[in-house]
Amino acid sequence: MRKIIGTPASSLGRRDFLKQTALAGAALGPLAGLIAGSARPAWADTTEISVFAPLPPDPAPPGDAKFSQDALAAWEQAHSAKVNYEAVAWPQLHDKMATNFASGAHVWDVIYMSGWVPEFAKFLQPYAEKLSPDLVSDMPPSSFSTVKWQGKNYGAVFTLSLLTLFYNTEHFEKAGLTEPPKTWDDLKRYAKELTRDGHYGWVLNYGDPAGIGGVASYWMTYLQQAGGKMYGDDGMPVFNNEAGVDALQLMVDLYNNGTDPGSISYVGINDATNVMLSGKASMMMNWPFTWKPAQDPTQSKIAGKLGGAVLPAGPAGTASIDGTDAWTVSADAKNPDLCRQLVEFYLSPDVQKQQALQTGWLPIRLSMLADADVQKALPNAAVVLEQSKHPYDSFVTPDYNEVTQAIGTEIQKTLQGAKTAKQAIQECSDQVTAIVKKRG
Amino acid sequence: MAGITLQQRRRRFGVGALLPAVVIILAILAYPMAASLWLSLHHVELAGGAVAESFIGLANYAALLDDDSFRLAVSNSAYFSVCEVALVVGLGLGVALLLNHPLGRSGFFRVLLIIPWAIAPVANAVLWKWILNSNYGILNAILTELGLIDNYVTWLGTPGRALNMLLLVDVWKSIPFIALLLLAGLQKIPSMLYRAAWLDGANTWQQFRFITLPSLRTTLAIAIILQTLWSFKLFDLVYVLTRGGPADGTVLLNYLAYRETFNFLHIGSGAAVANVVFFISLILAIAYIRMLRPGGRKVPA
Repeated sequence: MRKIIGTPASSLGRRDFLKQTALAGAALGPLAGLIAGSARPAWADTTEISVFAPLPPDPAPPGDAKFSQDALAAWEQAHSAKVNYEAVAWPQLHDKMATNFASGAHVWDVIYMSGWVPEFAKFLQPYAEKLSPDLVSDMPPSSFSTVKWQGKNYGAVFTLSLLTLFYNTEHFEKAGLTEPPKTWDDLKRYAKELTRDGHYGWVLNYGDPAGIGGVASYWMTYLQQAGGKMYGDDGMPVFNNEAGVDALQLMVDLYNNGTDPGSISYVGINDATNVMLSGKASMMMNWPFTWKPAQDPTQSKIAGKLGGAVLPAGPAGTASIDGTDAWTVSADAKNPDLCRQLVEFYLSPDVQKQQALQTGWLPIRLSMLADADVQKALPNAAVVLEQSKHPYDSFVTPDYNEVTQAIGTEIQKTLQGAKTAKQAIQECSDQVTAIVKKRG
Repeated sequence: MAGITLQQRRRRFGVGALLPAVVIILAILAYPMAASLWLSLHHVELAGGAVAESFIGLANYAALLDDDSFRLAVSNSAYFSVCEVALVVGLGLGVALLLNHPLGRSGFFRVLLIIPWAIAPVANAVLWKWILNSNYGILNAILTELGLIDNYVTWLGTPGRALNMLLLVDVWKSIPFIALLLLAGLQKIPSMLYRAAWLDGANTWQQFRFITLPSLRTTLAIAIILQTLWSFKLFDLVYVLTRGGPADGTVLLNYLAYRETFNFLHIGSGAAVANVVFFISLILAIAYIRMLRPGGRKVPA
């Protein structure tokens, strides 16, 4: 036998080593599985519900946000269920949803939506048609308009979140202003007068063109105040008129007289809110959640100095837009009835009340909006209720992102003086027409 | 066994040992590339449950030529890349020369240099978002204190200024790696050449022009190609700082691909934009690999 120099005759050969390693792995595999199987958790026989939600401080359910956690645990026990949350920062929600829907994999049962119901309707089921009549009767009927698509009801809005006016009462007092602006002319005048002593009259986030809470959606607010609307009965844009131009012209006039110049660079509402809470701006429009952090001295320099009012009226009165924060159920949810029951739990009176008191997000239930404790803790609830008596259409469509991107970009160009309001609205109309036609 | 040599057995074992790694690389690199190319040749829609694809050939690419957003993204990206490469390589060379000086050889300076490069991209973007903030940003505060500006500037307030600020932020982050690359090249130049030149009466500029630059030619070429490649993949700064605004003034090709795909769900069109970036990067990568090929060209240490 030929001897291999340098290799002891008794050593383990390479081939033998690989063979023995493979045999050991094959033997250990079933053993590992046995050990894992014997360690099944006690709740293994319960039904698991996966919920996709935003991270607080954006509107989040109990368990994700820290409120009503005992109530959630009791609900889980009563329904033999386990609720698992996947929560991401709000700006990432849409992208993550799109990716998961495109993958075809079932990931979530209950899904948060904000203006995306028409876009993702094919991946949802119209469970909301089976909501309990008691619940439905306690919700504003118009709250279902943003979660309906082609005649079917896909969701339940869980917080009355409309844009309203917030203002610094101390700035107003120093400027001799005794009440909030009531009209567009008041708003422009106030913004100019309040720009002094190191603060600006108005601040808003004009940096992100698209989505609800982007600059295009702010223009839609003013469009409704001017008596206009986005689409006709045939679904084609109908805003290329005096109302559309006037709405944009208001934004330009405000921007040139009294708006914080940094507004064009604030891409999120929190950027603009920080300016307001630091006392560097006197007025803004914002969502109801603003009230709670504004009263916290650790987060705000204007605690106790914030006032709220309905948005100033344009030629057709006041109007707003809806944040459309809603719960939907995925089309492939394994237990849609249990998912509906979970949503009804989120919308139960006690949970809704705690949602308001603990997180600052108003309830959607009319009875809870009128609750004495809620009204005392959140005085802006009365303002939002008043605002809800006027139009608040968010004009959501399957191509809402693309439409608002197109409009928002033209608005940004106009604010910078690159075109007139009339030119911009004409361009917006042409682009939105092309987008709608492409949808078919 | 007859006919199989030790060499052949070694080769077979080598292939077998490499096979798992090759499979993984094909799965995570080649498959997504092929899938992206496939998507770009289709009209893709999200349908109930999955995606619906219909083959349309090069129509997505043809549509890009008529798309104002795409044309703007191409011109923004071209401007961004040319300026970034010039600034990073130029300033990087300056930093490398300083570090190569006896006084600059302290490890402290090299550690300081690494800091921008070591910061995670998104953390870097958030950091600069606060530095450039028009109300609280330290940049405005410092410039005002120094008397260089009278009023706070909205650094991201106009398309041109915002794009240039993104450029400066990315240059700041990119200089360290290129500087260290060029420093390695500088340290390979024999000091005898400089001594001989000095003896012949050459001044500093002449030594730089006739000794340093020619010796660094290959390293500079590699630095230019790498930096150009990296400039095309920029996304995080745009997403965090400007979201492509104001008025699409900071939309770069990579960001446009993201917006088309994830914001608008134009999956085929977004894939087409992404493939345009891929093909540009591929051309640059081939040039890079050719530079590294032995055959008279030395690779820096």
